Amino acid sequence: MSDSFEVKIASSGQIVVVPWDKSVTQALSEAGVDILTSCGQGVCGTCLTRVLEGVPEHWDSYLTPEEQAANDQFMPCCSRSSSALLVLDL
Amino acid sequence: MFPKNAWYVACTPDEIDAGPLGRKICGESIAFYRGDEKRVAALEDFCPHRGAPLSLGRVCEGKLVCGYHGLSMGCDGKTVSMPGQRVRGFPAIRTFPVEERYGFVWVWPGDAALADKALIPHQEWFDNDAWAFGGGLFHIACDYRLMIDNLMDLTHETYVHSNSIGQKEIDEVPCKTQVDGNQVVTSRFMENIEAPPFWKMALRGNGLADDVAVDRWQICRFTPPASVMIEVGVAHAGHGGYNASAEHKVYSVVVDFMTPETDTSIHYFWGMARKFKPEDQALTDSIREGQGKIFSEDLQMLELQQRNLLDHPERALLMLNIDAGGVQSRKILDRMMAAEHALVATSGDAA
Repeated sequence: MSDSFEVKIASSGQIVVVPWDKSVTQALSEAGVDILTSCGQGVCGTCLTRVLEGVPEHWDSYLTPEEQAANDQFMPCCSRSSSALLVLDL
Repeated sequence: MFPKNAWYVACTPDEIDAGPLGRKICGESIAFYRGDEKRVAALEDFCPHRGAPLSLGRVCEGKLVCGYHGLSMGCDGKTVSMPGQRVRGFPAIRTFPVEERYGFVWVWPGDAALADKALIPHQEWFDNDAWAFGGGLFHIACDYRLMIDNLMDLTHETYVHSNSIGQKEIDEVPCKTQVDGNQVVTSRFMENIEAPPFWKMALRGNGLADDVAVDRWQICRFTPPASVMIEVGVAHAGHGGYNASAEHKVYSVVVDFMTPETDTSIHYFWGMARKFKPEDQALTDSIREGQGKIFSEDLQMLELQQRNLLDHPERALLMLNIDAGGVQSRKILDRMMAAEHALVATSGDAA
């Protein structure tokens, strides 16, 4: 996985570090923020989350290439970030 | 214990006419169906969604639609669509090389890269006006090699099939076994004997007297991985036996494909191709019925023999002179399996 980065919960302002060896959903869960997942590998679309700021790094196969290029949503079960911070619509 | 890089008979075409067929071949659970343009297709019988058997579904516009939640699978093993889902990331499932030929559906359960359709053994009697064919399918709980032993040593006919094709002369006339490359031939020629009931029926069916002495022959040919073709027949005695001209004899080939399901069970495709009165459908039906009865007599023997062997794996068995055909056939299979394992080991090293 890529380097660590931070995600910010837009509604609460809480910031959570996502280390290199954990997924966004794992890191958020350990911080008490649970996102519903199902497949855990970017196939099913269950964890689809809106991105308000920052640039996600897409690793899923659910979004179309066009949707991925828009960078306004991502799959936190497998995708990561190419910016230091992602602000999530949670 | 069977070669996997080989063509096996999987089913007859009529078995997939109404819908998909789930059948285990050499330990692989496979869904057979008619896909695009009605061509036969073979897929791993495992829906990538929840592992349901795809063979319980139905075929819709060439796609195999899972009977559990409607996943639509293409013949290439890739999911085409599923209601309410995006399928781009669905993992593909395995496809198996498959071909409809000579009245059977053939499958290659091993390495698909090695499957060469030119290796499917030609069946002379298929689609040939000089021949007629009738056959059937039994499921038998025995190692396919026990059936090969059975068919390569016909002395059992005297005991298992005493009311139809058995007779004491089979025991009295020694057989001869020869190995020719990858083929084993065990033959027995009996002269000036009385025809047993099945062959009397066949003689009458061909308009020949059934109350005169005959010469009888049995030529068993094993071809790996799991086929035994047996030339059988009787001719009125003194006309040349096996080489007698057509008007003096009844001549057939017993067709046997014993496809392993597991190590201890088989799909046994049996039949008889005959080269007399090919246009006589009623004769085809009565021969098929007779053969079905005769061959069903082997079921109990083979299944209980298998159970004995499983109960007593430490017991060594006798290989007598009459067993030479089966012993030689097993040697060929052992060679094939050793070569396959060497291939796997080599490619494993390379990886």
